[in-house]
Amino acid sequence: MSEHEKIRELLMLAAAGVLEESEQAEVNRHLAECKECSRELDGWTELAAGLRRLPTPRPRAGVVERARALMVRQLAAEAERRWDSKLVVCAVLFAWTLTLAGWPIARLLMSGAAAWLDVSVRYAWLVYAAYTAVGWVTAGAALVILGVRYRTMRRMTWADFERS
Amino acid sequence: MAWEVPVGLESEATRLRRGDPAAFEALLERYHNRLYRYLLRIVREPATAEDLFQQTWLRVAEKIRSYNPQRSFEAWLFSVARNLAIDYLRRCKLESLDEPTESGETRTERLAGGGPTALERVIVMERSSRVGEALGELPAIYREVLSLRFEEEMKLEEIAEVLGTPLSTVKTRLRRGLEQMRARLEERGAAGEWQV
Repeated sequence: MSEHEKIRELLMLAAAGVLEESEQAEVNRHLAECKECSRELDGWTELAAGLRRLPTPRPRAGVVERARALMVRQLAAEAERRWDSKLVVCAVLFAWTLTLAGWPIARLLMSGAAAWLDVSVRYAWLVYAAYTAVGWVTAGAALVILGVRYRTMRRMTWADFERS
Repeated sequence: MAWEVPVGLESEATRLRRGDPAAFEALLERYHNRLYRYLLRIVREPATAEDLFQQTWLRVAEKIRSYNPQRSFEAWLFSVARNLAIDYLRRCKLESLDEPTESGETRTERLAGGGPTALERVIVMERSSRVGEALGELPAIYREVLSLRFEEEMKLEEIAEVLGTPLSTVKTRLRRGLEQMRARLEERGAAGEWQV
């Protein structure tokens, strides 16, 4: 490929303003000597200018407002979801802490309380198991409620979008 | 890779990532026309472009935490819009961005725009109309590259990021798109007619 042909290949990219510095310098050097390529570049430059001058279409009135409202609502839903996630993590950590620390504490309290009340607690493990089960069932129910609420909010946002 | 973007813009994007509605308002204000124009160039139907426009902002709100503030927000936003547009085109089987097809249908009338009020405006509109018409007839992969380069004035690297393709592919599409534009404009008459 001759230099002339090689430069001609680059002219449209030169008009688009995307040549690297070295390529642009090469094109400039060639243009100083080649009128044919100068005319060719003028054509590409006009085409590029035509594309840049295309009128900007605008969305209908109300579309941007609806997008704004939907977005704000979605952001609120996302923020709430993040908050709920943090809450769930805290609840799980708390539940595990209670479970792991509960047994020695229960034993300690029960032995102290038994001595103070002067009664024997034979089934301390049963009380502890019931207490742990209630804790985990409550946590599970809370998770289900949060999950249902999240799904409902998500559906509502999409329903809003589809209605809009 | 970080692009050259105004510091203020990055700051807004970072706030948006944290879910700040005020930051979103600012970004929506800045990008709504450009985003709509880009979507319209891809799908060519105003009503569909408007739907996709709204879906894009919903998706932005949903996925904003996956945005990396070190990168160009613009490229991220346009890639979100592009993915939705591709999904739409695939769903409707109108055309595929990966398999360009020819369409002889005139789309200019579908582009929004007010009526001319003066002779000069008529002339400019006529010329723009021809360029817009020729652009609308190109396959989607070329339309979007031309729109991103000449209307959105994105750098090749940013276009590559939006498209998720190598730089060499972007250059090739740009070159072929321009060649096809020129061929179509020449078919419409003397080259000088569309030149301003």
